[in-house]
Amino acid sequence: MESPDATANKEDEASIDLLAIVLDTNPSQLIVRQNPQNLTQILEAVIAFGNAHLMQKAQNKLAVLSCSHYTTEFLFPLPGRQVELRQIDAQYEAFSLVEKTVKQQLGSILMNAPRLSAPCESLLAGSMSMALCYISRLQRNVPAGVKMHSRILVITGSNECASQYMTFMNVFFTAQKLGIVVDTCALDKTLSLLQQGCDITNGQFLKVNQLDGLLQYLLWVFLPSPQMRHKLVLPPTPKVDYRASCFCHRELIDIGYVCSVCLSVFCKYSPICTTCHTIFKTPGPLPIKPKKKKKIDKN
Amino acid sequence: MYCVSKLNCKKSISGTITHRREIVKQIRAHRSMADTKSGRHASTSAATPLLVQSPENLECKNFQEYLRTRQTPESLEKLYSYPPICLAVFRELPEIARQFVIRILFVDQPVPQAVVSSWGAQRVAKEQLEATNCLSALSVWRVTAIPGGLAAWELSPTFKKSVRQVLLGGGKPWAITNSLERDSKPRDVAFLDAYAMSRWRCVLHYMVGTGNRSNTETEAISPDAVRILLHANLMKRDEREGITITRQGFQFLLLDTRAQVWHFMLQYLDTCQERGLVLAECLSMLFQLSFSTLGRDYSSEGMNKQMLMFLQHLREFGLVFQRKRKEHRFYPTRLALNVTNKEAAEASISVDEERMQERGYIVVETNYRVYAYTDSQLQVAVLGLFTELLYRFPNLVVGVLTRDSVRQALRGGITAEQIVSYLEQYAHPNMKLVESAIQSKSCLPPTVVDQIKLWEMERNRFTYTEGVVYNQFLSQNDFVTLRDYAQSQNVLVWQNERTRTMVVQKNGHDDVKRYWKKYSKSAG
Repeated sequence: MESPDATANKEDEASIDLLAIVLDTNPSQLIVRQNPQNLTQILEAVIAFGNAHLMQKAQNKLAVLSCSHYTTEFLFPLPGRQVELRQIDAQYEAFSLVEKTVKQQLGSILMNAPRLSAPCESLLAGSMSMALCYISRLQRNVPAGVKMHSRILVITGSNECASQYMTFMNVFFTAQKLGIVVDTCALDKTLSLLQQGCDITNGQFLKVNQLDGLLQYLLWVFLPSPQMRHKLVLPPTPKVDYRASCFCHRELIDIGYVCSVCLSVFCKYSPICTTCHTIFKTPGPLPIKPKKKKKIDKN
Repeated sequence: MYCVSKLNCKKSISGTITHRREIVKQIRAHRSMADTKSGRHASTSAATPLLVQSPENLECKNFQEYLRTRQTPESLEKLYSYPPICLAVFRELPEIARQFVIRILFVDQPVPQAVVSSWGAQRVAKEQLEATNCLSALSVWRVTAIPGGLAAWELSPTFKKSVRQVLLGGGKPWAITNSLERDSKPRDVAFLDAYAMSRWRCVLHYMVGTGNRSNTETEAISPDAVRILLHANLMKRDEREGITITRQGFQFLLLDTRAQVWHFMLQYLDTCQERGLVLAECLSMLFQLSFSTLGRDYSSEGMNKQMLMFLQHLREFGLVFQRKRKEHRFYPTRLALNVTNKEAAEASISVDEERMQERGYIVVETNYRVYAYTDSQLQVAVLGLFTELLYRFPNLVVGVLTRDSVRQALRGGITAEQIVSYLEQYAHPNMKLVESAIQSKSCLPPTVVDQIKLWEMERNRFTYTEGVVYNQFLSQNDFVTLRDYAQSQNVLVWQNERTRTMVVQKNGHDDVKRYWKKYSKSAG
């Protein structure tokens, strides 16, 4: 008789691991503005990491999405027929395909991007929902009897995007329900929203301090599939800040006003909810209940 | 027979079979069910063939076992200079081992062992140990000393270089990927599948002897292929009947196609030296094909003569398709893809590709009836191994799985696992649409699967231990002393105080005998 652990191992070996990488390519990220070379460096690391994921098992799958301030595009795989390409060095055919496609696609996206006058925030939540859609589509096509484990890895150097709070929360809870793990690799600042998302879905959140060691960080923390993470020693999760950020000033607050329709949080009272445009009555002083007359009095 | 002073001591291996039976009977009588459930007593393998008729079973090795058993560290090092082999080896490693390799892949100095072991959680220390042992056994890494006197792991430089090349590029391109002009008549996947299966079936048909009957689609296979079948013990030369299939051969037929191909290729590689082929080159070629893209053409330009010969052999078994012998263009088929890994191949088949696969034809019902929609001799012969065939119609065979029929198969060395996987593999598409099949992993009725497994477990109630009987003790004291000694040495198999009989493991016999001599001398 095999031990249940061995059977679980065997199943894990047979299952498909799908990794969807959401890569923030917004040029207004601080690290990119400081040094445009950084983006190339990040890209190289992400490609190597993606290929390392494909190298683990023959049936592993990879998707790379680019997320910027105005659009989300698939960098890999491309719909339709793949690019015909011959090996030029000893790199495995499938890996060179990933590398070529990602670079080519990203190049054309950056070339066609509209000019920015002021820094804008990346549409991370939107890209993540796109990744979720992609995952659920693949999930449906999996042959009977085969399991698929999916996860999303967000790599970003953007600031907190509190304006997408609603979408983020929807994404996190959908992911939780579908059993999809959300991992985040923050390159610049700690992002409390995404940190919450990782916590909800049992994913890893990591803030990288040195961009030079990015690949090594990725390989260490994010390469092991969630099923085997308990077998490895990974950085402990810091205490997650579950305070909500207010929608008016994007500050974390302990006590605030909550819209009764969409549950948006505000630090100050506003008569119209900025998220769902519900109109509230001005809160007057609490109505004082008229004292009930005592029965004795009446008699 | 031999005597130690007044004590009779039967050495069972030299004794007659009846003695052996007696011992076994005693052991049987004594063993409780709980004992057998919990498992495997160290039964010496030498004794088993005598006790039960269990012939050599088909041994199916995976790639890792193959490398461990057949290769020396030096030859492994040679193999690792081929990036495709390294990729295959990497994928065969246990999961933890893969993580370790990846983490030190880009580290240029040796990593202290303590550091590596701190990467794994304490709870899975055993698994981790297995992983590190596996890496050492395959010479993927080796121990070196670093300044400070600590032991450290260092990846084999050749392996490291090759894996880096596979992952990041650099180095020479793989041999088969020379550029080609566009094929004017490219072959599609469906064609390749059909071609591969027809070629492979030729080999199988030959094995069950249906290839002899001149059929239009089946051709005879080459003497070379026959030689491999003989070498692999899948067939044997019989004086009267010519070449016939062996027991292992039947077990081979029950494997799924991928496992068959892999087993066959391993046997082929065993004999490749005789053909003047270099093992490393063959393996490299095999894995290049294994990692190629289906439906794409590759070039054999620049290959040496031996490799071209190897390619021709692969062509014969249906692993590659080539229009003409002289043509430089060839297409790998599904048989060649992911040769080492069954799961990978299954999982990579997406829904629309599934119908290209061989159609299932077996329906199994909960009443143990098996309906097979087939007219192929081969399939009927295989089915007949473990079912009792009831009726035959032109396109349908009806059989029933009975205890006797399954036990007969089990006696022949076929395992329950093999039977179940065969039935699953060739299950009729409609079987997969049943409600219960969609929810569970298997499309077979669970009662049938369980019963087949139970029938197998029935046979495993006994464990056989080779031993020596000590009896006819003159005093209870002698008996107790010797029994206690044997017990303290952990070699006591069974004892009965009333009859003053004990059975000692064979390897403990000398020790116990010596002790007895010393004891009886000092007492007497």
